[in-house]
Amino acid sequence: MSEGAAGAGAVVSFVGLARPEGGGGAVDRLVLEHHPRLTARSLESIAAEAERRFGVDQVRVVHRCGIILPGEAIVFAAAASRHRRAAFEAADYLMDRLKTEAVFWKREEGETGPRWIEPTEADYAARDRWE
Amino acid sequence: MTIFFYGKLRERFGTAVELEIPAAGCSIAALRERLAERLPAVALDLQSRTVRACVGDEIVLDDFVVAPGQDVEFFPPLSGG
Repeated sequence: MSEGAAGAGAVVSFVGLARPEGGGGAVDRLVLEHHPRLTARSLESIAAEAERRFGVDQVRVVHRCGIILPGEAIVFAAAASRHRRAAFEAADYLMDRLKTEAVFWKREEGETGPRWIEPTEADYAARDRWE
Repeated sequence: MTIFFYGKLRERFGTAVELEIPAAGCSIAALRERLAERLPAVALDLQSRTVRACVGDEIVLDDFVVAPGQDVEFFPPLSGG
């Protein structure tokens, strides 16, 4: 990504990891369901809007689906720009939107059975602050 | 017509449910009610604004009228990242 962003002085990246503990205790795995068309479309749309809004040279989002084990990466979000402010803001924006608008349905599976995850009030507030 | 479910609704209903609707069509609101009758345990979820309906890959509101032959997808709250 750094190579592709000619002239970039800053690359900011974020990796979201599957935590070993959730609201229902120890987590054996996360399972992320996706939609055959809308998942890819939502990722592209959010990435494109980050690029446009913050004027960054490049944005990259990689999001896994299916079974994810504790400690493994779920999502990678990065932005490259000439200077760091735009890159930091774009990466922050990407995650706030991905948490609430990326088309996935996430559940934790553990000892107490499956537990569906929904964005928290804090997640929605974080997304709303960009509007 | 076929109704497709995702997330926690798929856990309850299965991936898809077949439903007969009148030739004049059926509103999303009415579909929610019919599904809630079929499975009262998820009635609250189905009536919730947080569960959204999607037709032809576009989110639609409760007053949208689905025609026979059109499929509907119901999405519980999204959780990515």
